[in-house]
Amino acid sequence: MLRVDRRITKNFDWITLSIVIVIALIGIMTIYSATRPPIEGEHSRFYLRQTLWLIIGIIALFLIVSFDYVWLSRFSLYIYIFGIILLIAVFFLGKAGMGAKRWLSFGPLSFQPSEFFKLAYIIMLAQQLSIINGTITTISLLRLFLLTVLFPFALLIKEPDLGTSLIILAIFVSLILVKGLHKKVVTLLVIISLVSLPFIGTILWEGLKDYQKSRLVAFIEPQIDPTGIGYHITQSKITVGSGKFIGKGYLKGTQGPFRFLPEKHTDFIFAVFAEEWGFIGSIILLLLYLFLILRALDTARKAKDEFGRLLALGITFMFSIYFFVNVGMTLGIMPVVGIPLPFMSYGGTALLSNLFAIGILINIRTRRFYLF
Amino acid sequence: MNKKRAVILSTAIVFSFFAVYLRLTDLMILSHKRLSEKAKLQHIKVEDIHVRRGIIVDRRGRELALNLELESLYCDPENLKLDNEGAKKLASAMSKEPKIVLAKVPAEGRFAWIARKLEDDTAEKIKELHIKGLGFLTEAKRFYPKGELASHILGFVGVENQPLEGVELRYDTYLKTTGGKVFFRRDASGRTLSSGVDIEAKGNNVVLTIDEGLQYLVEKELDKAMVRWRAAAASVIMMDPFTGEILALANRPSYNPNSPGSVSISDRRNRAITDCYEPGSTFKIIIGVASIEEKVAKHDTLFDVSKGSIDAGGKTIRDVHKYGILTFKEVIQKSSNVGSITIGMKLGKERIYKYAKLLGIGEKTGIDLPGEVSGWIRPPEKWSGTSIGAIPIGQEVAATPLQMLRVYSAIANGGFLVRPHVVSEIISPDGQVLSSLRDKEVKQIISSKTAETFKDILKSVVEEGGTGRSASVEGDEVAGKTGTAQIINPKTKRYSKEKYVSSFVGFVPADNPRLAMIVVIYEPKGQIYGGVVAAPVFRDIANQALSYLNIPRGKDAYETPLLVAK
Repeated sequence: MLRVDRRITKNFDWITLSIVIVIALIGIMTIYSATRPPIEGEHSRFYLRQTLWLIIGIIALFLIVSFDYVWLSRFSLYIYIFGIILLIAVFFLGKAGMGAKRWLSFGPLSFQPSEFFKLAYIIMLAQQLSIINGTITTISLLRLFLLTVLFPFALLIKEPDLGTSLIILAIFVSLILVKGLHKKVVTLLVIISLVSLPFIGTILWEGLKDYQKSRLVAFIEPQIDPTGIGYHITQSKITVGSGKFIGKGYLKGTQGPFRFLPEKHTDFIFAVFAEEWGFIGSIILLLLYLFLILRALDTARKAKDEFGRLLALGITFMFSIYFFVNVGMTLGIMPVVGIPLPFMSYGGTALLSNLFAIGILINIRTRRFYLF
Repeated sequence: MNKKRAVILSTAIVFSFFAVYLRLTDLMILSHKRLSEKAKLQHIKVEDIHVRRGIIVDRRGRELALNLELESLYCDPENLKLDNEGAKKLASAMSKEPKIVLAKVPAEGRFAWIARKLEDDTAEKIKELHIKGLGFLTEAKRFYPKGELASHILGFVGVENQPLEGVELRYDTYLKTTGGKVFFRRDASGRTLSSGVDIEAKGNNVVLTIDEGLQYLVEKELDKAMVRWRAAAASVIMMDPFTGEILALANRPSYNPNSPGSVSISDRRNRAITDCYEPGSTFKIIIGVASIEEKVAKHDTLFDVSKGSIDAGGKTIRDVHKYGILTFKEVIQKSSNVGSITIGMKLGKERIYKYAKLLGIGEKTGIDLPGEVSGWIRPPEKWSGTSIGAIPIGQEVAATPLQMLRVYSAIANGGFLVRPHVVSEIISPDGQVLSSLRDKEVKQIISSKTAETFKDILKSVVEEGGTGRSASVEGDEVAGKTGTAQIINPKTKRYSKEKYVSSFVGFVPADNPRLAMIVVIYEPKGQIYGGVVAAPVFRDIANQALSYLNIPRGKDAYETPLLVAK
């Protein structure tokens, strides 16, 4: 039997857990609505599977809380290597879907390694940064970049999983900024970026796949081809706009079930929610996320050590980026990057890994008074 | 982490939230209307449909105008998958040129008709092509199952069911329905999820006063008369003299309302109410009625017409035959022009004009059909010197056949001026009577005694020694009057020597009138006299009509109760 430390139960962060469970339940409700058949017909079982994953995820979350997160620091390299192996495995054993290889299959279960890799990566990055004293010098920045970012970034671009690759890059940038750069590094970076500015746009653009280019074009000018590349954006805005102040009411939305809105139960689930629950409902949901993110930030601030602080920050940044990119895309203020809304979008691996991340946050918060 | 950084980070996050909040306000509140309209356009398609027009039935409920359900082809240009090969196949299924078919497909939009009201086998052929983006809607096409029968009463409609003539036009407000719309809810791939009609889209039904059986008799006999007399045109109206209900009305030339475009517009004219003619001798009744009402003469007052001619304002008018001394009754019976003009002179032009107006000459009868004309009679101050020799014998006046029939109906019904009509009831789709057009108040214009006197006189017309001998019906007494009028040649402005209008107007049975009828034959060849040309047509129709209505003949009529037709 697991022996539960009384301090864990006493300081357990029930608030974070409650918010997450509320959001996840709202997510399951919305998945149910988004995937309901428009006329008579069988209801897709997405909502049931998501419920199952939620239960599994919560159990996993408690397991993670029961061990001190310091263990993560000790095993960070192994975790990271395991994550890389999973990413490589995708190339050989992966299952293609929608022009990209992102999945590993185990019998009936499909599994998205990049979801786990993100966490492994944050742990690795937090551990590497925590052993640096003071600000980051040019040497340590290069070392960090080569060790933690370059290889997985290349792998993810190759998959291609533009969403995750940009996110690991963004987390890297955020964390080194928070850690603090040496003045020399800042100067160097400014010079490099000024020099490479004329080329970097072309290099990035040429490196994109056609559908990724289309998304960017569509973001800038969705009217160019409303049934083609701009379709996602136009439909998403229409869906959100149909909601008005109090919404159409639960199970009364039309755009998702009638299949006008693509990716209705995954990437664009916020639009489905907004259509049914209106402005009021959307604001409440946004506030739940805002509270969750601010709480995570507070956890980072209260962390007992540098590793905990950076780990919590990394997770906070991850959720923030996911949240803003997803909602921004749904509302047409960001390009369409296929990333899910944490805890709401359908997807077992994502929900599980997000609950792991929440488990880590709670772990850090719960042990904030410990001194080993 | 120092406090400053935490504050900066928190502020950045809160500001980002604020941006999302602003965008939400924009989309969900400010742009809501525009965006939800877009959503609606995507999955709700509203389509005007040509709803079931009310049907038209005769007085016994037999359908004279109904609807056929035919399929119309439309396309959804945004989803249309039509390559050259498909267009060729589609065009050949429709027996048309591919160019013509493609011209009907607009570049954008969600709906456009390609072909309306297709034949069943054509629609089947197109369906077998399985072209994406094409669809069918059932539309109602107006159909007149009896063809030409009663076409001048029914009228017809256009492709969009827009009313163009007859009862269809006059009663369009009842027959049509407003707001007939269909809604289709569709998903992104264009599958129809549900559809619905926003109202019960059925028009009200119209019940005519026409009896299909009588109408058929009339049309049949009219066709015979047209052949026999090689006439230019002809009209017959049969009316219930007491109620003004038109029982049958037919004209020649005629047309088939299922294909009205195949004849000239003049053939579609309802001459019985839209064309005037000089009524000739049938007009003498007005002089007669006036003189009895005004006590200028009695039925046995004697008139000397032995001269055979009379001078009216310097113009000499002759009788066809020379008679000697005639009673008033005989003047009408034998249709003496000299006698009629003599009586007319005694009355004077004011009283002639007054009675002509009183009996509805120069006034529309108010029949519920489009296009009626009023005809005319000049007011006394505009009469010329010779008018007194013309008007009493039915010249220098213009009347429609219906107006003349109404005058004779007033004799038949005891002195009342009826309002002729062809529609008796409007009935809602669920069978409720919405309005009944029967039992309108009618005005008595002449005394029943005068009417009674004239009934006798008109009977004598058909008896031995009268001009309308050949109108007599076996076993029954007919009351009526012949008419023969010359047609004014529009070029020379003089009466034509070859062109006449022959007519007979009267009612039957004379003592218990059930049917009032007028027969007008325009430009008969060979014979010209109303008594020879029109009277036999009257007889043949009346004979069969009485049998059809089971009206007992002769003395039996007073021994067995009448079967009432309705």
